[in-house]
Amino acid sequence: MKRLVIAVAVLALAGCGGEAVVPEGQGAHGHGASSAAPPVPAASARFNDADVMFVQMMVDHLQLGISLSQVGLAKATTQEAKDLAGAIDVTQREELTMLKSWLKLWGKPEGDGANLHAAHGGQPLLDDKVINETKEKSGAEFDQLFLNLMTGHQGAGVEMALTEKKEGMNPETTAYAERVVNTRQGQISQMLKIIGGA
Amino acid sequence: MKLMRKAALVMAVVPAIVFITPVGSANAHGYVSSPASRSAQCARGDVSVDLCGQAKYEPQSAEGPKGLKNCSGANGAFAPLDNDGLPWKVTNTGQTLSLTWTFTARHATRDYEYFIGGTRVGYVAGNNQQPNNPTTHTINLAGFSGRQKLYAIWNISDTVNAFYSCIDLNIGGGGTTPPPTSTTTTPPPTTTTSSTTTTQQPPAGGTWAPNTSYAAGSTVTYGGSTYRCRQAHTSLNGWEPPNVAALWEKV
Repeated sequence: MKRLVIAVAVLALAGCGGEAVVPEGQGAHGHGASSAAPPVPAASARFNDADVMFVQMMVDHLQLGISLSQVGLAKATTQEAKDLAGAIDVTQREELTMLKSWLKLWGKPEGDGANLHAAHGGQPLLDDKVINETKEKSGAEFDQLFLNLMTGHQGAGVEMALTEKKEGMNPETTAYAERVVNTRQGQISQMLKIIGGA
Repeated sequence: MKLMRKAALVMAVVPAIVFITPVGSANAHGYVSSPASRSAQCARGDVSVDLCGQAKYEPQSAEGPKGLKNCSGANGAFAPLDNDGLPWKVTNTGQTLSLTWTFTARHATRDYEYFIGGTRVGYVAGNNQQPNNPTTHTINLAGFSGRQKLYAIWNISDTVNAFYSCIDLNIGGGGTTPPPTSTTTTPPPTTTTSSTTTTQQPPAGGTWAPNTSYAAGSTVTYGGSTYRCRQAHTSLNGWEPPNVAALWEKV
Protein backbone atom coordinates (compact mmCIF):
# COMPACT_ATOMS: atom_id res chain seq x y z
CA MET A 1 0.00 0.00 0.00
CA LYS A 2 2.80 2.36 0.91
CA ARG A 3 4.32 1.59 -2.47
CA LEU A 4 1.10 2.54 -4.23
CA VAL A 5 0.87 5.78 -2.29
CA ILE A 6 4.42 6.70 -3.30
CA ALA A 7 3.69 5.81 -6.90
CA VAL A 8 0.59 7.98 -6.95
CA ALA A 9 2.45 10.84 -5.30
CA VAL A 10 5.23 10.63 -7.85
CA LEU A 11 2.66 10.53 -10.64
CA ALA A 12 0.93 13.62 -9.29
CA LEU A 13 4.24 15.46 -9.03
CA ALA A 14 5.60 14.35 -12.36
CA GLY A 15 2.50 15.21 -14.35
CA CYS A 16 4.35 14.22 -17.50
CA GLY A 17 2.94 12.50 -20.52
CA GLY A 18 3.36 8.86 -21.37
CA GLU A 19 2.71 7.30 -17.99
CA ALA A 20 0.82 4.05 -17.90
CA VAL A 21 -0.84 1.81 -15.37
CA VAL A 22 -0.96 -1.95 -15.34
CA PRO A 23 -4.61 -3.03 -15.58
CA GLU A 24 -6.37 -3.94 -12.36
CA GLY A 25 -5.94 -7.59 -11.39
CA GLN A 26 -2.55 -8.18 -12.97
CA GLY A 27 -1.08 -7.10 -9.68
CA ALA A 28 2.26 -5.61 -8.83
CA HIS A 29 3.69 -8.62 -7.09
CA GLY A 30 4.68 -10.89 -9.96
CA HIS A 31 7.96 -12.62 -9.35
CA GLY A 32 8.76 -13.91 -12.79
CA ALA A 33 11.67 -16.05 -11.60
CA SER A 34 11.71 -19.79 -11.17
CA SER A 35 10.86 -21.05 -7.72
CA ALA A 36 14.51 -21.97 -7.05
CA ALA A 37 15.81 -18.44 -7.58
CA PRO A 38 15.62 -15.79 -4.88
CA PRO A 39 12.47 -13.68 -5.09
CA VAL A 40 12.66 -10.89 -7.64
CA PRO A 41 11.59 -7.46 -6.38
CA ALA A 42 8.45 -6.49 -8.22
CA ALA A 43 7.96 -3.10 -9.81
CA SER A 44 4.85 -1.15 -9.02
CA ALA A 45 2.32 -0.61 -11.72
CA ARG A 46 2.76 3.05 -12.62
CA PHE A 47 5.50 3.92 -15.05
CA ASN A 48 6.30 6.26 -17.91
CA ASP A 49 8.09 6.04 -21.25
CA ALA A 50 11.45 6.89 -19.68
CA ASP A 51 11.13 3.91 -17.30
CA VAL A 52 10.34 1.55 -20.17
CA MET A 53 13.16 2.90 -22.34
CA PHE A 54 15.67 2.61 -19.50
CA VAL A 55 14.67 -0.94 -18.61
CA GLN A 56 14.65 -2.05 -22.25
CA MET A 57 18.08 -0.53 -22.86
CA MET A 58 19.44 -1.99 -19.63
CA VAL A 59 18.32 -5.49 -20.66
CA ASP A 60 20.55 -5.23 -23.72
CA HIS A 61 23.30 -3.46 -21.77
CA LEU A 62 23.32 -6.13 -19.04
CA GLN A 63 23.52 -8.94 -21.59
CA LEU A 64 26.55 -7.39 -23.28
CA GLY A 65 28.19 -6.87 -19.89
CA ILE A 66 27.54 -10.50 -18.97
CA SER A 67 29.10 -11.69 -22.24
CA LEU A 68 32.21 -9.60 -21.65
CA SER A 69 32.48 -10.59 -18.00
CA GLN A 70 32.43 -14.26 -18.99
CA VAL A 71 35.42 -13.72 -21.27
CA GLY A 72 37.11 -11.88 -18.39
CA LEU A 73 36.38 -14.71 -16.00
CA ALA A 74 37.95 -17.20 -18.42
CA LYS A 75 40.99 -15.18 -19.52
CA ALA A 76 41.96 -12.48 -17.00
CA THR A 77 45.39 -13.10 -15.50
CA THR A 78 44.93 -11.39 -12.13
CA GLN A 79 42.69 -12.66 -9.36
CA GLU A 80 41.20 -9.21 -8.72
CA ALA A 81 40.11 -8.87 -12.36
CA LYS A 82 38.70 -12.42 -12.32
CA ASP A 83 36.80 -11.77 -9.10
CA LEU A 84 35.33 -8.57 -10.44
CA ALA A 85 34.32 -10.27 -13.70
CA GLY A 86 32.67 -13.07 -11.70
CA ALA A 87 30.80 -10.65 -9.46
CA ILE A 88 29.60 -8.56 -12.42
CA ASP A 89 28.44 -11.75 -14.13
CA VAL A 90 26.27 -13.01 -11.25
CA THR A 91 24.91 -9.63 -10.13
CA GLN A 92 23.93 -8.60 -13.64
CA ARG A 93 22.18 -11.93 -14.22
CA GLU A 94 20.13 -11.22 -11.13
CA GLU A 95 19.33 -7.71 -12.39
CA LEU A 96 18.43 -9.10 -15.83
CA THR A 97 15.87 -11.50 -14.34
CA MET A 98 14.34 -8.65 -12.36
CA LEU A 99 14.14 -6.23 -15.30
CA LYS A 100 12.64 -8.83 -17.65
CA SER A 101 9.94 -9.52 -15.05
CA TRP A 102 9.15 -5.79 -14.91
CA LEU A 103 8.75 -5.56 -18.69
CA LYS A 104 6.47 -8.59 -18.58
CA LEU A 105 4.39 -6.99 -15.83
CA TRP A 106 4.14 -3.76 -17.80
CA GLY A 107 3.24 -5.60 -21.00
CA LYS A 108 6.28 -4.19 -22.81
CA PRO A 109 8.60 -6.07 -25.18
CA GLU A 110 12.25 -6.59 -24.32
CA GLY A 111 13.04 -4.58 -27.44
CA ASP A 112 15.92 -4.70 -29.83
CA GLY A 113 18.99 -3.25 -28.21
CA ALA A 114 20.74 -2.37 -31.45
CA ASN A 115 17.68 -0.49 -32.71
CA LEU A 116 17.26 1.30 -29.38
CA HIS A 117 20.86 2.49 -29.56
CA ALA A 118 20.44 3.60 -33.16
CA ALA A 119 17.31 5.53 -32.20
CA HIS A 120 19.35 7.38 -29.60
CA GLY A 121 22.24 8.22 -31.89
CA GLY A 122 24.66 6.10 -29.91
CA GLN A 123 27.48 3.94 -31.17
CA PRO A 124 27.67 1.38 -28.40
CA LEU A 125 31.10 0.46 -27.17
CA LEU A 126 30.35 -3.24 -27.07
CA ASP A 127 28.85 -5.56 -29.61
CA ASP A 128 29.39 -9.24 -30.33
CA LYS A 129 32.25 -8.47 -32.71
CA VAL A 130 34.17 -6.38 -30.15
CA ILE A 131 33.60 -9.02 -27.47
CA ASN A 132 34.79 -11.80 -29.77
CA GLU A 133 37.93 -9.84 -30.64
CA THR A 134 38.93 -9.75 -26.97
CA LYS A 135 39.15 -13.56 -27.04
CA GLU A 136 42.09 -13.31 -29.44
CA LYS A 137 44.20 -11.45 -26.86
CA SER A 138 46.00 -12.97 -23.92
CA GLY A 139 48.09 -12.11 -20.87
CA ALA A 140 48.55 -8.52 -19.79
CA GLU A 141 47.29 -7.31 -23.16
CA PHE A 142 43.98 -9.08 -22.57
CA ASP A 143 43.68 -7.68 -19.04
CA GLN A 144 44.19 -4.10 -20.24
CA LEU A 145 41.66 -4.50 -23.06
CA PHE A 146 39.09 -6.25 -20.89
CA LEU A 147 39.32 -3.67 -18.09
CA ASN A 148 39.30 -0.77 -20.54
CA LEU A 149 36.15 -2.05 -22.24
CA MET A 150 34.37 -2.95 -19.02
CA THR A 151 35.19 0.46 -17.50
CA GLY A 152 33.71 2.19 -20.53
CA HIS A 153 30.68 -0.09 -20.72
CA GLN A 154 29.78 0.38 -17.06
CA GLY A 155 30.32 4.12 -17.48
CA ALA A 156 27.69 4.11 -20.23
CA GLY A 157 25.39 2.36 -17.74
CA VAL A 158 25.90 5.24 -15.30
CA GLU A 159 24.88 7.71 -18.02
CA MET A 160 21.68 5.76 -18.72
CA ALA A 161 20.87 5.48 -15.01
CA LEU A 162 21.39 9.22 -14.42
CA THR A 163 18.90 9.92 -17.23
CA GLU A 164 16.39 7.54 -15.63
CA LYS A 165 16.81 9.26 -12.25
CA LYS A 166 15.88 12.56 -13.90
CA GLU A 167 13.09 11.40 -16.21
CA GLY A 168 11.67 8.17 -14.80
CA MET A 169 8.73 7.96 -12.38
CA ASN A 170 8.44 4.32 -11.31
CA PRO A 171 9.87 4.20 -7.76
CA GLU A 172 11.45 0.74 -8.06
CA THR A 173 13.02 1.64 -11.38
CA THR A 174 14.48 4.92 -10.15
CA ALA A 175 15.74 3.13 -7.02
CA TYR A 176 17.37 0.53 -9.26
CA ALA A 177 18.91 3.37 -11.31
CA GLU A 178 20.41 4.79 -8.11
CA ARG A 179 21.91 1.37 -7.36
CA VAL A 180 23.31 1.16 -10.91
CA VAL A 181 25.01 4.54 -10.42
CA ASN A 182 26.59 3.46 -7.14
CA THR A 183 27.63 -0.08 -8.04
CA ARG A 184 29.03 0.83 -11.45
CA GLN A 185 30.89 3.80 -9.96
CA GLY A 186 32.41 1.41 -7.41
CA GLN A 187 33.39 -1.07 -10.11
CA ILE A 188 34.89 1.68 -12.28
CA SER A 189 36.91 2.91 -9.31
CA GLN A 190 38.28 -0.61 -8.76
CA MET A 191 39.09 -1.08 -12.45
CA LEU A 192 40.76 2.31 -12.90
CA LYS A 193 43.08 1.47 -10.02
CA ILE A 194 44.07 -1.79 -11.69
CA ILE A 195 44.50 -0.06 -15.08
CA GLY A 196 46.42 2.99 -13.89
CA GLY A 197 48.19 1.61 -10.86
CA ALA A 198 47.26 2.37 -7.28
CA MET B 1 11.03 29.70 -59.50
CA LYS B 2 9.76 30.86 -56.19
CA LEU B 3 9.11 27.25 -55.28
CA MET B 4 12.63 26.26 -56.22
CA ARG B 5 14.07 29.01 -54.10
CA LYS B 6 11.94 27.82 -51.22
CA ALA B 7 13.11 24.26 -51.79
CA ALA B 8 16.71 25.39 -51.87
CA LEU B 9 16.18 27.25 -48.63
CA VAL B 10 14.68 24.17 -46.99
CA MET B 11 17.54 22.05 -48.23
CA ALA B 12 20.02 24.52 -46.85
CA VAL B 13 18.34 24.61 -43.46
CA VAL B 14 17.70 20.90 -42.98
CA PRO B 15 21.32 19.76 -42.88
CA ALA B 16 22.07 22.53 -40.40
CA ILE B 17 19.37 21.23 -38.07
CA VAL B 18 20.66 17.70 -38.38
CA PHE B 19 24.12 18.95 -37.58
CA ILE B 20 23.13 21.09 -34.61
CA THR B 21 20.82 18.63 -32.87
CA PRO B 22 23.46 16.39 -31.27
CA VAL B 23 25.28 19.29 -29.60
CA GLY B 24 25.27 18.92 -25.86
CA SER B 25 23.76 15.49 -25.98
CA ALA B 26 26.39 13.26 -27.49
CA ASN B 27 25.86 9.67 -26.47
CA ALA B 28 29.51 8.81 -26.58
CA HIS B 29 32.05 10.07 -24.12
CA GLY B 30 35.67 9.50 -23.17
CA TYR B 31 38.61 10.37 -20.93
CA VAL B 32 42.24 9.45 -20.32
CA SER B 33 42.32 6.56 -17.85
CA SER B 34 46.07 5.91 -17.80
CA PRO B 35 47.98 7.66 -16.46
CA ALA B 36 45.11 8.76 -14.27
CA SER B 37 43.78 12.07 -15.58
CA ARG B 38 42.02 14.46 -13.20
CA SER B 39 38.69 12.92 -14.26
CA ALA B 40 39.99 9.41 -13.63
CA GLN B 41 41.28 10.48 -10.21
CA CYS B 42 37.77 11.67 -9.35
CA ALA B 43 36.29 8.34 -10.46
CA ARG B 44 38.96 6.40 -8.57
CA GLY B 45 38.21 8.34 -5.40
CA ASP B 46 41.76 9.70 -5.17
CA VAL B 47 40.18 13.13 -4.93
CA SER B 48 36.95 13.24 -2.95
CA VAL B 49 33.49 13.71 -4.41
CA ASP B 50 33.13 16.87 -2.32
CA LEU B 51 35.92 18.37 -4.39
CA CYS B 52 35.19 16.65 -7.71
CA GLY B 53 31.42 16.90 -8.00
CA GLN B 54 29.87 15.20 -11.02
CA ALA B 55 33.23 14.07 -12.42
CA LYS B 56 33.16 11.22 -9.90
CA TYR B 57 30.17 9.69 -11.68
CA GLU B 58 30.83 10.84 -15.24
CA PRO B 59 34.59 11.18 -15.75
CA GLN B 60 33.83 10.73 -19.45
CA SER B 61 31.58 13.78 -19.78
CA ALA B 62 33.89 16.82 -19.66
CA GLU B 63 32.47 17.87 -23.01
CA GLY B 64 32.55 21.26 -24.66
CA PRO B 65 33.13 23.08 -27.93
CA LYS B 66 36.28 22.26 -29.87
CA GLY B 67 39.25 24.57 -29.54
CA LEU B 68 39.30 25.15 -25.78
CA LYS B 69 42.35 24.81 -23.54
CA ASN B 70 40.85 23.65 -20.29
CA CYS B 71 40.03 20.53 -18.33
CA SER B 72 36.25 20.76 -18.04
CA GLY B 73 35.19 21.63 -21.59
CA ALA B 74 33.85 24.83 -20.00
CA ASN B 75 31.05 22.57 -18.73
CA GLY B 76 29.93 24.03 -15.39
CA ALA B 77 29.25 20.70 -13.70
CA PHE B 78 32.88 19.77 -14.28
CA ALA B 79 34.45 23.09 -13.25
CA PRO B 80 36.44 21.49 -10.38
CA LEU B 81 38.61 19.80 -13.02
CA ASP B 82 39.96 23.26 -13.92
CA ASN B 83 41.02 23.97 -10.34
CA ASP B 84 44.81 23.62 -10.17
CA GLY B 85 44.59 23.93 -6.39
CA LEU B 86 42.93 20.55 -5.82
CA PRO B 87 45.16 17.70 -4.59
CA TRP B 88 45.71 16.07 -7.98
CA LYS B 89 48.24 13.24 -8.12
CA VAL B 90 51.20 14.04 -10.33
CA THR B 91 52.60 11.46 -12.75
CA ASN B 92 56.37 11.31 -13.10
CA THR B 93 57.45 10.80 -16.68
CA GLY B 94 60.42 10.96 -18.99
CA GLN B 95 60.28 12.65 -22.37
CA THR B 96 57.93 10.13 -23.90
CA LEU B 97 54.56 9.39 -22.41
CA SER B 98 51.98 6.72 -23.26
CA LEU B 99 48.32 7.55 -22.64
CA THR B 100 45.25 5.32 -22.84
CA TRP B 101 41.71 6.55 -23.43
CA THR B 102 38.56 4.94 -22.06
CA PHE B 103 35.40 5.42 -24.10
CA THR B 104 31.84 4.75 -23.01
CA ALA B 105 30.85 4.55 -26.66
CA ARG B 106 32.76 5.03 -29.89
CA HIS B 107 32.31 8.26 -31.77
CA ALA B 108 33.68 8.77 -35.26
CA THR B 109 36.85 10.71 -34.51
CA ARG B 110 38.35 13.73 -36.23
CA ASP B 111 41.61 13.66 -34.24
CA TYR B 112 43.31 13.80 -30.88
CA GLU B 113 45.37 16.78 -29.76
CA TYR B 114 47.73 17.19 -26.81
CA PHE B 115 48.84 20.60 -25.53
CA ILE B 116 51.15 21.97 -22.88
CA GLY B 117 50.27 25.64 -22.55
CA GLY B 118 49.81 26.86 -26.11
CA THR B 119 52.16 24.30 -27.64
CA ARG B 120 50.70 21.29 -29.38
CA VAL B 121 52.93 18.41 -28.32
CA GLY B 122 50.92 15.62 -29.89
CA TYR B 123 48.51 15.01 -32.74
CA VAL B 124 46.88 11.75 -33.87
CA ALA B 125 44.55 11.70 -36.87
CA GLY B 126 41.22 9.93 -36.41
CA ASN B 127 40.22 9.74 -40.08
CA ASN B 128 36.59 10.01 -39.06
CA GLN B 129 36.70 6.38 -37.97
CA GLN B 130 35.56 4.83 -34.71
CA PRO B 131 38.46 4.57 -32.25
CA ASN B 132 40.36 1.36 -31.63
CA ASN B 133 40.01 -0.64 -28.43
CA PRO B 134 41.94 0.33 -26.47
CA THR B 135 43.26 3.61 -27.88
CA THR B 136 46.80 4.29 -26.70
CA HIS B 137 49.05 7.13 -27.91
CA THR B 138 52.70 7.87 -27.27
CA ILE B 139 53.68 11.53 -27.28
CA ASN B 140 57.01 13.32 -27.14
CA LEU B 141 57.49 15.90 -24.40
CA ALA B 142 61.01 16.99 -25.42
CA GLY B 143 61.68 20.58 -24.41
CA PHE B 144 59.47 20.50 -21.35
CA SER B 145 60.47 19.74 -17.79
CA GLY B 146 59.15 19.89 -14.26
CA ARG B 147 55.52 20.35 -13.31
CA GLN B 148 53.30 20.67 -16.37
CA LYS B 149 49.61 20.31 -17.11
CA LEU B 150 48.90 18.31 -20.24
CA TYR B 151 45.61 18.91 -22.07
CA ALA B 152 44.37 15.77 -23.85
CA ILE B 153 41.57 16.51 -26.31
CA TRP B 154 39.38 14.09 -28.26
CA ASN B 155 37.82 15.92 -31.22
CA ILE B 156 34.83 13.94 -32.44
CA SER B 157 33.56 14.11 -36.01
CA ASP B 158 29.82 14.09 -35.66
CA THR B 159 29.24 17.08 -33.38
CA VAL B 160 31.00 20.42 -32.85
CA ASN B 161 32.21 19.17 -29.49
CA ALA B 162 35.34 17.67 -28.00
CA PHE B 163 36.09 15.81 -24.78
CA TYR B 164 38.75 17.18 -22.44
CA SER B 165 41.12 15.47 -19.99
CA CYS B 166 43.97 16.99 -18.01
CA ILE B 167 46.98 15.07 -16.76
CA ASP B 168 49.34 16.57 -14.20
CA LEU B 169 52.93 15.68 -15.03
CA ASN B 170 56.38 15.99 -13.57
CA ILE B 171 58.65 15.75 -16.61
CA GLY B 172 62.27 14.94 -16.00
CA GLY B 173 64.74 12.31 -15.03
CA GLY B 174 65.38 11.53 -18.69
CA GLY B 175 64.89 8.31 -20.55
CA THR B 176 61.68 6.63 -21.55
CA THR B 177 58.85 6.13 -19.17
CA PRO B 178 58.02 2.64 -18.10
CA PRO B 179 54.53 1.39 -18.94
CA PRO B 180 51.79 3.64 -17.55
CA THR B 181 50.97 1.26 -14.75
CA SER B 182 54.19 2.25 -13.00
CA THR B 183 54.52 5.92 -13.88
CA THR B 184 53.04 7.26 -10.69
CA THR B 185 55.05 7.44 -7.53
CA THR B 186 52.17 8.20 -5.23
CA PRO B 187 51.76 5.70 -2.42
CA PRO B 188 48.96 3.15 -2.60
CA PRO B 189 45.68 4.26 -1.08
CA THR B 190 45.12 3.32 2.50
CA THR B 191 41.78 1.73 1.75
CA THR B 192 41.71 -2.03 1.37
CA THR B 193 42.33 -2.89 -2.25
CA SER B 194 41.30 -5.94 -4.14
CA SER B 195 44.92 -6.93 -4.74
CA THR B 196 44.85 -8.30 -1.21
CA THR B 197 41.99 -10.65 -1.99
CA THR B 198 43.56 -13.74 -0.53
CA THR B 199 44.85 -12.17 2.68
CA GLN B 200 42.13 -9.74 3.66
CA GLN B 201 39.36 -12.18 4.43
CA PRO B 202 37.64 -10.67 7.44
CA PRO B 203 36.95 -12.74 10.51
CA ALA B 204 33.70 -14.65 10.45
CA GLY B 205 30.82 -12.64 11.83
CA GLY B 206 32.35 -9.22 11.09
CA THR B 207 30.09 -6.40 9.99
CA TRP B 208 29.79 -5.93 6.24
CA ALA B 209 31.74 -2.95 4.91
CA PRO B 210 32.37 -1.55 1.42
CA ASN B 211 35.78 -1.79 -0.29
CA THR B 212 36.56 -5.06 1.44
CA SER B 213 37.57 -8.30 -0.22
CA TYR B 214 35.32 -11.20 0.71
CA ALA B 215 36.14 -14.81 -0.13
CA ALA B 216 33.44 -17.29 -1.02
CA GLY B 217 32.17 -18.89 2.17
CA SER B 218 33.04 -16.01 4.51
CA THR B 219 30.23 -14.64 6.64
CA VAL B 220 29.22 -11.12 7.66
CA THR B 221 26.45 -9.46 9.58
CA TYR B 222 24.34 -6.70 8.09
CA GLY B 223 21.19 -5.15 9.51
CA GLY B 224 21.04 -7.78 12.25
CA SER B 225 21.20 -10.76 9.86
CA THR B 226 24.06 -13.04 8.93
CA TYR B 227 25.03 -13.64 5.31
CA ARG B 228 27.42 -16.06 3.64
CA CYS B 229 29.45 -14.93 0.62
CA ARG B 230 28.56 -16.94 -2.48
CA GLN B 231 31.10 -15.42 -4.86
CA ALA B 232 34.50 -13.85 -4.15
CA HIS B 233 34.38 -10.08 -4.70
CA THR B 234 35.43 -6.70 -3.39
CA SER B 235 32.38 -5.10 -1.81
CA LEU B 236 31.07 -1.70 -2.79
CA ASN B 237 28.20 0.68 -2.08
CA GLY B 238 25.05 -0.78 -3.61
CA TRP B 239 26.21 -4.37 -3.08
CA GLU B 240 24.94 -4.52 0.50
CA PRO B 241 24.04 -8.17 1.25
CA PRO B 242 20.22 -7.76 1.16
CA ASN B 243 20.51 -6.10 -2.29
CA VAL B 244 22.46 -8.86 -4.01
CA ALA B 245 21.35 -12.43 -3.43
CA ALA B 246 23.79 -13.36 -6.19
CA LEU B 247 26.67 -12.43 -3.87
CA TRP B 248 25.25 -13.04 -0.39
CA GLU B 249 23.07 -15.84 0.93
CA LYS B 250 21.16 -15.21 4.14
CA VAL B 251 21.97 -17.86 6.76
